[in-house]
Amino acid sequence: MSSVDRRDVKKSSRIQISRGMRTVLIGLAALYLASALIAPTSVSRIAQMGMLPFAAALAIVGLGQTMVIQQGGIDLSVAGSVSLAVVIVTWGPDRHDNRLIPAVLAAFGAAIITGLINGFLITRTKLNSIVATLGTNAILYGVMMGLSGGSPRRTTERLSNFTNNKIFGLPHSIWFGVIVTIIVTVILKRTVFGRRFEAVGANARAARAAGLKVGRYQMSAYVNAQILYCIAGIILGGVISQPTAYQGDDYVLPSVAVVVLGGTSLLGGRGFPAASAISALFLKQLDMFVLSLGVPYGVRTLVISLSLMIGIAIYAVNWSSIRQKLMRNSKSRTLSSASA
Amino acid sequence: MVTSVSSSALLLSNISKNFSGVAALTDVSFEVNPGEVHALLGENGAGKSTLMNVASGTLKADGGLIEIMGTQIANITPALATELGLAIVHQHPAVLPDLTIAENIMISVPESLLMSEGSTEKTMRKILDEFGFTASLRDRVETLTVAQQHLLDLAKAFAINPKILILDEPTAPLGQESVEILFKKVHAIAQAGTAVIYITHRLAEVREIANRVTILRDGKGRGTSNVSEISDDEIMTKIVGRQLESTFPPKHDGSINDGEFVKIENLSSNDFHEVSFAASKGEIIGISGVVGNGQSQLMRSLVGLDSHAGKIIVNGKEIGNKELLLKTAYLPADRHGEGLMMTLSVRENASVSALGKFSQGLFISRKREDNVVLASLRELEVKAPSMDSPVSALSGGNQQKIVMSRSLLSEPIMIIADEPTQGVDVGARAEIYKILRNVANSGIPVIVNSSDTKELEGLCDRVLVMSRGHIVQSLEGDQVTEERMVAAAIQSTALKRQEIDDAVAASQKRTISKVLQSDFVPPIVLTGMILALALFIFSKNHLYFGSYNINAVLGLGTGLGFIALGQTIVLMTGGIDLSVGPASGVLLVVASFFVNDGKSFWIIAIGFLLIPIVATVIGTANSALIRYAKFTPVAGTLTVYIALIGIGFLLRPAPGGYLNASVTDFLLRKVGPLPDAFIVLAIAAVLLEIALRKTKWGIRLRASGSNEESARRLGVNINRTVFGAYIASALFAGVGAIIFMGLIGVGDPAQGTSYTLQSITAVVLGGTSLLGGRGSFVGSLLGSVLMVQVLNACVFLNLSQTWQYLFQGLLIVIAALSYTLTRKTRR
Repeated sequence: MSSVDRRDVKKSSRIQISRGMRTVLIGLAALYLASALIAPTSVSRIAQMGMLPFAAALAIVGLGQTMVIQQGGIDLSVAGSVSLAVVIVTWGPDRHDNRLIPAVLAAFGAAIITGLINGFLITRTKLNSIVATLGTNAILYGVMMGLSGGSPRRTTERLSNFTNNKIFGLPHSIWFGVIVTIIVTVILKRTVFGRRFEAVGANARAARAAGLKVGRYQMSAYVNAQILYCIAGIILGGVISQPTAYQGDDYVLPSVAVVVLGGTSLLGGRGFPAASAISALFLKQLDMFVLSLGVPYGVRTLVISLSLMIGIAIYAVNWSSIRQKLMRNSKSRTLSSASA
Repeated sequence: MVTSVSSSALLLSNISKNFSGVAALTDVSFEVNPGEVHALLGENGAGKSTLMNVASGTLKADGGLIEIMGTQIANITPALATELGLAIVHQHPAVLPDLTIAENIMISVPESLLMSEGSTEKTMRKILDEFGFTASLRDRVETLTVAQQHLLDLAKAFAINPKILILDEPTAPLGQESVEILFKKVHAIAQAGTAVIYITHRLAEVREIANRVTILRDGKGRGTSNVSEISDDEIMTKIVGRQLESTFPPKHDGSINDGEFVKIENLSSNDFHEVSFAASKGEIIGISGVVGNGQSQLMRSLVGLDSHAGKIIVNGKEIGNKELLLKTAYLPADRHGEGLMMTLSVRENASVSALGKFSQGLFISRKREDNVVLASLRELEVKAPSMDSPVSALSGGNQQKIVMSRSLLSEPIMIIADEPTQGVDVGARAEIYKILRNVANSGIPVIVNSSDTKELEGLCDRVLVMSRGHIVQSLEGDQVTEERMVAAAIQSTALKRQEIDDAVAASQKRTISKVLQSDFVPPIVLTGMILALALFIFSKNHLYFGSYNINAVLGLGTGLGFIALGQTIVLMTGGIDLSVGPASGVLLVVASFFVNDGKSFWIIAIGFLLIPIVATVIGTANSALIRYAKFTPVAGTLTVYIALIGIGFLLRPAPGGYLNASVTDFLLRKVGPLPDAFIVLAIAAVLLEIALRKTKWGIRLRASGSNEESARRLGVNINRTVFGAYIASALFAGVGAIIFMGLIGVGDPAQGTSYTLQSITAVVLGGTSLLGGRGSFVGSLLGSVLMVQVLNACVFLNLSQTWQYLFQGLLIVIAALSYTLTRKTRR
């Protein structure tokens, strides 16, 4: 076998764009094109600068939800976690910049504890993930209300600068969204942990039989998700000058929607973090587009539902296996003979 | 249908059946007469079960004719077969674990037969007593042992007095006592004129109960004889056949023959006992025996997946359980369930165990991974379109090679292969044998469990035959022949321990936990909590029991309660309905266009008529997405959820459409402190509870959620049940909307959304399982009341919202935990 052929096999496997990513990218391009043609205000600099930080927050939340869904769960505690993080980083410092760092650390601490509780309830006591996170969500709200009484304070200047100052013309918050997406994608796709994480999600029994410590991977999904929600909450705490106490409410169902749109199956297994993040941008731009068209909220919501339905339908039918079957019949060959 | 002159009960002519190109049955003809016991004999994979599945309509034949009771049937289905008087007891019992024994009987035995002893209960008791069955009718089937579940399945089949009775290896899991009872019953029912087909592996059983015997090998009929006219040797020859095998690699040359390299000493668990053997370096060890005699469990213990007592020593070193899991490699028999991540690619499946070796710093070097995996796949001659095609697209043989590739890449100290060639075509088999032999030659011990004795004869240097969990024969060298293995397995007299007696003893100990697992515990606990909370608040604030407050709490709880009843129905089928909240909102908005002051009676009537119509559309949309478009219940109902919010706001962008005052007044009427609507809700919950337990609808509902496959086999129409459940759920959301008319008085699209999560919470508090199959409507009602009460309590006790949330959260977690933990004590 020649070395040239060997490289060919690798190449074909290197450049890989998932179906979810392709769908979402095409959808996004079409959406921006339609926006530019039909509602030019929705792609104006002001509109985009207003929308992108929130897209970044939704993207980061979506990354967390992706990890949980990869393990076959669903995390409804998004609302409480994001809200609590917002409240801790605004209420704690009370406009005093020097108290910001302890508050941020406290927010992360709370996130890790929440993640451990969720993980324990779901992976150890085998509680259904919907029930468990419904419960922890209410408790998180309780804690959040206990801290803030329902009205968090103005954000600190330092946090505001931290998220809103610009590099290369874009506010930090957007860069955070991009960087976190890249980090999560690289961890999930290029490290031993990430690859095994995916394997456990795809089939926990097989993973155990192959000698993997299944419980740890499942637990890590819930902890990592909470850390990501916390980052999103901190960003929101800086982007919005006077956030409400219920900032996380708007993120629960959209976070599930972006995961599904990105092509990650609700049955678990392979995850598409980057596609989830881009779906977040898609949803926010869709919102912006229909908003600047001046159509009512009802139509906006219907459009989102419709795009979700089309998105899922594309994945629910297993096109690739049908294609694979056709390919196998016509082009079946051994790897060795292919390279000979 | 054509009536023929044949007198046989079942006549199969020239049946052929292929599974994806592999012939399972070729031109098989088979006939049973009324009143005879006809044994069907053959090795694993000879086609016995396939033939019977064709006869009972579970599988469709590719060619051939089926005649039942003299009537030729072109398209047979399980339901039609049952109607014609055919009953089949499968190797895996078709029972519903969440249902009680009585309910399991009710779903398959017609009502007319259940009254024969005067009352259903007496008849059922008699059905069970005849099989020496001591468990209570009210026990859940999941608390039974495997043997008891088989007995239940047998008892059900005998109870309907079938004209044709098919028993597929009925004695495999049974103890001696039960086997004797079964044989007596078989004799009796045959004498009464039933045609019995008895599939088995055991020669002794054939001699004991059968009149005639038909032998199958490799999917072909090898003749039918009277049992009295055929010798054991003749039967053996027909089962085994003569076949030259050139597909096997040369055996171990015997250069090292110390019998020291692998030593297993006194390995025991629940399923096998005192297993000991030893082998030299380079030997392949085979485990033989009739399926289900502890072989698979032994394999699992050898790789550390199940616990065991005893020692495993490889190359002089004892290996503990945890180490086994990490260092040995396992080729499971259930390749799809336990061997492969079906949705991942060939490369990902092959490399998962060895990933650490491909790392460069923090990251995996794709180059190194590709090179190593590709080399391994080439060495094993894997046929795949590319390394990145999903493993599900490969053939069985190539899938097995991927599992082997993963095992070899992990550099194991021992390889355990359970049925390594099951579902693998002949060509790939030879390659798998070669790979296993090479592995053994390289100094890694290989242990193979196989039900294919030919395979063990050709491949192994040493074979241990297991029966009922014991090693009954150890063969080596020239002794490793198919005949010796089959003879040792089918002539074995080793008895399975009397599992059933043990189980009875154990089940008495479990009475307390059984009581705790009853569906009635959550309602009782909830009632207690509601009363305790009420008394506590009353002690702090004497206005609490005022009729104004009671009316307010129950009024709020009524809307939630109706929605929760609908949610309960869906959860019972193992689904979930996220759309209930927005559905109630949309239905309220729809009504707000018609049911207004000053509208005529007929307009108002149309409004009320539209609610069930729109609800049916919503429920149909949900179930169509789930059943036909294959959305998961969460994804399907989430899509509908968002769409309904959109529709609601489209119809009414802002609250509006004041509802007819006399209608709202009517809805708010009360008797003393109790709202009329709440009384209706309570009656509805009780009626549904009764229907759930006593009617076929309730049993079907729980059956489909408990075990969809068994329910299907028992003739439950899953699609219809699921559609019905989601439509019912939307209809109850409609009733919730009517209640909101009275409480809110205006069409508000934003109302309702919060009821999705609240309804799930209420239902979970009521003890309904999100896994489907069990639950309680009264529990859901009480759960709703408790939720509203907790919110109200905080107002009365002057507690902040903080406490409302904390109480809610803790309540959910504690309730769910206690229900889950009490369920877990089952076995």
